Amino acid sequence: MSENEKIFIIDDDEIIIFGMRKLLAEVIDTKYIASFENGELALDSIQSKLKNGEEIPEVIFLDINMPIMDGWQFLQALCELDIEKRIRINIITSSVDPADYEKWLYFQKRTNHYLDFRTKPVLKIIPEDISFASKAS
Amino acid sequence: MKTVVSKNQTYLFRQLPNPIAVVNANGEVVLVSDQWLDFFDMVWDNTIGASINAIFSNIHPEVTSYVSKCMDHPGNYSFTSQNPHSKDTLIKFLVKPWYDTNENPTGTIIEARYQTRQIQMEEKLESFDALLHGLSTITNVGIWEYNFQNQKLYWSKMTKKIHEVGADFEPEIETAIGFYKQGYSQNTIAMLVHNALENKTPFKECLQIITQKGKERWVIAAGQPYFKNGEAIRLVGTIQDVTDEIETENKIKDSAQLLQTLMDNLPLNIYVKDKDSRKILVNKSECDYLGAADPEELIGHSDFDLYDKHIAQISRDEDVEVMKTLTPMLGRETVNIRKDGSTTTFLTSKIPLLNTYGEANGIIGISMDITEMKNKENELHDLINVTAIQNKKLINFAHIVSHNLRSHTSNFTMLLKFLVEEKDENEKSRIIKMLTEASNNLTDTLDDLNQVVEINANVNIEKEEVNIKQLIDRVATNLWAFLRKNKAVLDYETLNDKASVNAVPAYLDSILMNLFTNAVKYKHPDRDPKIQITFSKNKNVSMISVKDNGLGIDLDKHENKLFGMYKTFHHHKDARGIGLYISKNQIEAMGGKIFVESKVGHGSTFNIHLYERE
Repeated sequence: MSENEKIFIIDDDEIIIFGMRKLLAEVIDTKYIASFENGELALDSIQSKLKNGEEIPEVIFLDINMPIMDGWQFLQALCELDIEKRIRINIITSSVDPADYEKWLYFQKRTNHYLDFRTKPVLKIIPEDISFASKAS
Repeated sequence: MKTVVSKNQTYLFRQLPNPIAVVNANGEVVLVSDQWLDFFDMVWDNTIGASINAIFSNIHPEVTSYVSKCMDHPGNYSFTSQNPHSKDTLIKFLVKPWYDTNENPTGTIIEARYQTRQIQMEEKLESFDALLHGLSTITNVGIWEYNFQNQKLYWSKMTKKIHEVGADFEPEIETAIGFYKQGYSQNTIAMLVHNALENKTPFKECLQIITQKGKERWVIAAGQPYFKNGEAIRLVGTIQDVTDEIETENKIKDSAQLLQTLMDNLPLNIYVKDKDSRKILVNKSECDYLGAADPEELIGHSDFDLYDKHIAQISRDEDVEVMKTLTPMLGRETVNIRKDGSTTTFLTSKIPLLNTYGEANGIIGISMDITEMKNKENELHDLINVTAIQNKKLINFAHIVSHNLRSHTSNFTMLLKFLVEEKDENEKSRIIKMLTEASNNLTDTLDDLNQVVEINANVNIEKEEVNIKQLIDRVATNLWAFLRKNKAVLDYETLNDKASVNAVPAYLDSILMNLFTNAVKYKHPDRDPKIQITFSKNKNVSMISVKDNGLGIDLDKHENKLFGMYKTFHHHKDARGIGLYISKNQIEAMGGKIFVESKVGHGSTFNIHLYERE
């Protein structure tokens, strides 16, 4: 893991990881991208970065339905971490369950991080999606 | 003034046929008739000129005072005085003023006559008669008298009025009895008169008469026979018109009867309780409910004698509240438990029973048995609950389907877009490979969903008695190679050979296969898998328990997702997140439930509950 990982993609579907990387490559250098197949792995990475005093990611693309630790559990855990930096979290889901939308609103109120909510498929990355990251690059 | 009386006048006066004396203003006798001299045994010469006081002071002292009274206040006076010569006779004196030609009172005239006691008695009788008549008018009581000797019947005015006959009507004993209503009344009066005559029995009876004008009247006829030397001489009696009273009484009786009939035939339990909540009136429904043949069995008893203690206390508290606040308790749902333990649900109203001072003396209770309605309502609630659960499940399933299909189609969309835009051939073939993978995933997903739909669509699944041991034997045979490879032990030796459960064999087969496979798949790295199956059955619940010594699941984190679709909890290459979801659907389709107990690092226990009813 390098200090340059500014963007996290968290999704258990390797096709999505492939797609997201491909789309991001159009706007940012791929060396800044790290991907994880569930929330737990991503959280482990963030915690180790904090511990080692490394920069934590500026933008996270987060899937909801994942094994072991899903998107909401990851968000909950992230909120409980002591992070001063404001992270942009783009929630990417294929769920049309209103309950998921309500959970998004719930977390929006409870976190300092910026939360976006988008439904799949994601066919294009616009500058705002990685606004914090692009400033840094 | 000196009164001068001529000789001729004197002569005439003396011959008057009655004992008369004339007294002047000074109280001196002026003239007396010869009858007077005879009556009082006096002599003319001693009498004329003598003072009246001097003559009568010894024998009739009252005379002097009446004479002076008559002089002072002219008017007619009469009084009686005892005859000193005979005990049986009295002397009645009449004193009136004597006027001159100018109408000035100049003296008094005194007349005396004998009066026997009989005459006096007759006079008394007359006044009694008047009194009696007055009384009889006031009290509506008629008087009659029958003389046995001359067979004469006397009716008083009121008696005639009661019979609605004229004042000149002359009754006879036969016609009198004939006035009584034919049948009971007439027979009774005839018998009573006969008994009075023969057996000296007085009577008093309430009977009906038909008046001369044809009206029916209720009367109280009473009679008292009088005897002389053992022989009946007369029968004296009264007759009282009590039509109004009887009619009022009958009306009250009628309305009481109406009320009782109404109360007994209403499909409601009605009861009246006193201050201490003791029953003072109950209707038939209440008797039937409490199994009493007669209201008397319940009267005087409180709820504590009739119901479960706890229930009785609730009822008593309600009674007290109603009596205290004077506010009726209306349509409250109450539950009664009889001494035999049977429960009834009532819709109860309690109304304070007020006395004339507006104080509560008790309560009136009305209870409607709504047990049946309540049961129906509960059934309906259950049905609504089942429907609501089904509905929720259906919506949940729709979301699962939508989510799963959408994740695949969005992958297609994305990959196809890349394919169209891609120039590099190597990258193109990589995308096509991914498209194939996506297609396979979609097919798998559709298969899974189809399986779930099949389980849930199969409403009329046939359940049968499944022998548990034989079933596990079969599953174990199918998994033999898999179990052996993982050195897994299946322990079900303790099961009874005959233990059976009412279930769908194919479902149970699939469920156990899934649980055994999971137990092995998620085994603890430090030990060989061991799966223990136990079975118990009580009343209508069969419980199959599958206990493993595997990894265990963190229930705090995953309990609500454990049986969800595509949820996995362990890093395992074969974890697909469909097995427990299918098992849960199968168990629920059989009307059962699945519960889990688990401890990370120790293992998990899945308990399947299957209900035997239906």
